[in-house]
Amino acid sequence: MTSIHIVNDENRAGYEAILDEYFRLRHEIFVGERGWHDLEQPNGREVDAYDNEQASYLIALDHDRVVGGLRLYPTVLPHMISQSFAHLVRGQDVLSGPTILECTRYFIVRERRMGRTDCRLLAAFQQFCLEEGVTEVTAVVEMWWLPRWQQAGFNVRPLGLPTMVAGQPCIAAAIQISDNSLRHVSRLAGLRGSCLMRATGASTFTDKVPHVAT
Amino acid sequence: MSGRSLDYTAKAFGFIEELDRLASPQAIIDAMERSFAQFGFENFIMTGLPHPEQRIESLVLLKKWPLGWYERYTRNSFDRHDPVIRLCRQTVQPFEWSEARNDPETNPRGQEIMQGAADFGMRQGYCLPIHGLNGFEACLSMSGPDLDLTPQTKPAIHLMAMYAFERARLVLAPSPRPNPLTPREQETLRWAALGKSAADTGEILGVTERTITAHIGSVCAKLSAANKTHAVAKALQHRLIEI
Repeated sequence: MTSIHIVNDENRAGYEAILDEYFRLRHEIFVGERGWHDLEQPNGREVDAYDNEQASYLIALDHDRVVGGLRLYPTVLPHMISQSFAHLVRGQDVLSGPTILECTRYFIVRERRMGRTDCRLLAAFQQFCLEEGVTEVTAVVEMWWLPRWQQAGFNVRPLGLPTMVAGQPCIAAAIQISDNSLRHVSRLAGLRGSCLMRATGASTFTDKVPHVAT
Repeated sequence: MSGRSLDYTAKAFGFIEELDRLASPQAIIDAMERSFAQFGFENFIMTGLPHPEQRIESLVLLKKWPLGWYERYTRNSFDRHDPVIRLCRQTVQPFEWSEARNDPETNPRGQEIMQGAADFGMRQGYCLPIHGLNGFEACLSMSGPDLDLTPQTKPAIHLMAMYAFERARLVLAPSPRPNPLTPREQETLRWAALGKSAADTGEILGVTERTITAHIGSVCAKLSAANKTHAVAKALQHRLIEI
């Protein structure tokens, strides 16, 4: 049974091997499979400037095997949309705030794409954000993914028109965090309870928000 | 960025806001008719893509098509040969009808279908395939005699089409159906999916082989499956069991 683990700066010491495998899979999927060669690294680990102490990861584990993941990052700091994709946002008016996170590097390993792993990770994502007091999450997503989020029960508003990124029409969008969405996606995921694991030592996200925004 | 493309952005966002307030299929059709007309679209259809045993009529979410063409299309099951439908299954990206290449060798009826549509004023078209969760496949296909499809208009049309589809899906969504299989039937079928015979499964669950066969028979009836293999395939496809 897949469970989703929260990994952040507080508890990453307990997840070193899993994080290494997670970065290796990111390289395999984003560089190898999707062909984003700008991200290529000689050590086969896809790690960028946002993989720092401000990032939180939701990692889908089946026993000890990484089967998917995503990264969340505060929008009050310079983040991927503000630094690289502002042109995808209408009027370049990037959405940011203390209760808004950015989601990047979402993936599910190839052999799990037919199953419920997607819905489990999306359910854990809504639950984590609800628990942390997050109201919205921004992301750049390939257009064809949008209906999948919507069918998972997510309320997604566009932040700009579709724009070609690496040969694919992509859109900057904001996902609303809500109990309704969590209920809907949990039902699709076949979950009766929570699949979110919070290892001790993980402080809440809002405690960590740097006080750069007022 | 030109003033015109800003204009398209405003129009697309205005349309998406409007959709949120629409509660009936007819209201969505009316709003689409108004908003897509500015790009030259006169007709559109939103439909699921039929499996071999399904008829397209049962999957149409909403449509504004010339009645004569719809009758001819469905009566002749044109969806089986329609090059646009074929391309929908192969790509996740929107495309113009002219990009749906048809090979007369392998699909002799393709040309006839495209010509038939043109005779009803549907000379050009734009189609958005939808590849959703759980194998859900659908499309929104729109057409007109003379379309304004340019690199400036297409992103707006793409976004508007996607939100129109989503609104129609929400408005028409049947209330969620519970799993028709009992817990015991699910368990039986899960063992079948793992390759166990009725006798094996009976032993595992501590019941007779006959009981297991009865469970499988009941599952086949509920899922309209021809046999155990068919039932396993259907149950996995519709997420009624998990292995």
